[in-house]
Amino acid sequence: MAKKKNEKKKKSGGIVGFLRDFTYGMATHGMARHALKTRSSMEHLFILITMGDMLGIPILPPYYSLRLLPHVVPQITTWKRRMLREKDFVESMY
Amino acid sequence: MNSLWVLLWWVVILVLGYWVYASHVAKRVFEVDPNRATPAKMYMDGVDFMPTNKNVLFGFQLNSIAGAAPIIGPIVALQWGWVPALLWLGLGVFFIGWVQDFSSAMVSIRNDGDTFGALGYKLISPRARKILLTFVYFYLLLIACAFGHVITKGISHNAALPFPLLVVIAVAFLVGHMIYKAKTNIIVTTILAIALIFFSIWLGTVWNIKLSYNLVLICVLIFGYFSSILPVWRFIQPYNYSSVYVVYFGIIAGVIGILIGHKPMTLPAFTAWGTKIGPLWPLLFVTIACGAISGWHSLVSSTATSRQIENELDVRPVAGGAMFAEFTISIIAVIVCATAFADKAEYVKNLKNPVGIFVGGLGGAITSIGLPVSYAKALAGMMIIILALTIVNLVFRFMKVATAELLGDAIGIAKNPHLATIVALIITWVLVKTGTWLYVWVLFGGANQLMAGFALLLVTLYLVQKAKPYNYAMYPMFFMYVTTVCALFYTSFFKLIPAAMAGKKVFGNLFAAAVAILLIILALILAYDGWKAFKRLKSGEAGEPAEAAKAEA
Repeated sequence: MAKKKNEKKKKSGGIVGFLRDFTYGMATHGMARHALKTRSSMEHLFILITMGDMLGIPILPPYYSLRLLPHVVPQITTWKRRMLREKDFVESMY
Repeated sequence: MNSLWVLLWWVVILVLGYWVYASHVAKRVFEVDPNRATPAKMYMDGVDFMPTNKNVLFGFQLNSIAGAAPIIGPIVALQWGWVPALLWLGLGVFFIGWVQDFSSAMVSIRNDGDTFGALGYKLISPRARKILLTFVYFYLLLIACAFGHVITKGISHNAALPFPLLVVIAVAFLVGHMIYKAKTNIIVTTILAIALIFFSIWLGTVWNIKLSYNLVLICVLIFGYFSSILPVWRFIQPYNYSSVYVVYFGIIAGVIGILIGHKPMTLPAFTAWGTKIGPLWPLLFVTIACGAISGWHSLVSSTATSRQIENELDVRPVAGGAMFAEFTISIIAVIVCATAFADKAEYVKNLKNPVGIFVGGLGGAITSIGLPVSYAKALAGMMIIILALTIVNLVFRFMKVATAELLGDAIGIAKNPHLATIVALIITWVLVKTGTWLYVWVLFGGANQLMAGFALLLVTLYLVQKAKPYNYAMYPMFFMYVTTVCALFYTSFFKLIPAAMAGKKVFGNLFAAAVAILLIILALILAYDGWKAFKRLKSGEAGEPAEAAKAEA
């Protein structure tokens, strides 16, 4: 029982952990989210550049796009989710 | 009566509201299930959909919902007395406030993280999305005007504030550059920013700068322009980040000050059923918006928070908990302001400048911890102006996006960010200069509460669709709808139009009345569509509205 309690406490980090997470949430979480959004829009560009090679249509000189392709492939699944999702005006708020 | 007794009311509402009622609704109505996959897990894309720790989300939600409104609303409402203000705050948050925040997040989570626009389209009618967008634009305009005046009046009446505010703005640019360009350590950056800001507050008390109302208003609008146009990382984010510590410190020092000082409540407990801005019902219920119930929260809950919730069990502490935390801020505002003045006449004299009232109240409480009076008052002034500027920061940015969304297809130039921002700034300037602030504040509260009515309408329809008990959302929805429509109607037809007819601020009052009437019309259209949707869903047609199905076909 005591072990379980300790584990739970360790997991949540106690009051110090709460204060740390809360302060991060208040002050920095929004910034981190925005950084991720900026990165994702860069990723969109990156994937569009290499789209030709993914479809088998050479748009860029193949040397460059083939070098880029391995970096792009792991992002394709999440990229598709973001691209195909319907977006709403309120999303620009947060 | 000693102000510490008010804390007893706070404890009762918190315990019964959060641990009893909220827990019951979460379990019995929404049947929260820790094993059900949330959109954050199902559609994780590393950006919008991302499972996040509940403590982090609680801080994020609180930061996103709490601005200056939970402080200014109760300050203005003290003209009815502090008992009606405390009763509405407590009962509002208990029966409606947390219900809306929690349920908006839950409905969005159960609908794949859909936002209100998409949910309105699906559950009410296709035109609901457009109506919501138009409504949000004018709602934002009223926010800009209400806060624009508060900030301008506050700064132009307090010569200790201009200098530290200029320093805060300069520090924001510095912090942005240090974090994102120079890649300086975040702890070093934070310490430097905090030291500069707190030192500048002291410097402001010895180096007073007196500015005129018009000059401050123009500066605030220029501030709004740059907030809207500059990249978020360059200004808005570092501004919010570096200034949040002033707010933190102000709240903590204020709470300790209240406990140490425990002054008696000097303002009357109850004054009259009717005051200068109107009768207690419906006006009190829109004068105090945030702190009791606010439509803004539903936008945050259903847009950002619902997509980051890791586990359905976290929704109550995150969305409900943040609402109760904001209620706490409002209680502090009531206590510090109801104990700050010798009598009602002194309070009423300062009513046009709520920042001044708050500075006197919180500043007085902070002196109990040993800080000099001038520094404590400057700190309190900075806290509320920073909170209000944070809202202005966001509002013009959103108005720019809403303009492009509303008019972009028909008028190409509306997509130009500079033009859209300048149009929003000009309308704001006109309304601040020509309108009557107290009525604009009431209209803002009305629009905000009406937004809450829309949110509760969506929640009710969702619960009807799922054949779950819906009364706990439907009755608050009726109350909010009727109260806010009546408040908007009363203010426009019994206050604004007669004032304009009497030749008092003709343009501003008529313009504000026109905005109020537009909001009423939009609310009635949505209520009609909502009623049709209710009947459709009640009869068991669980699908989308007929028009939506037709449009998709």
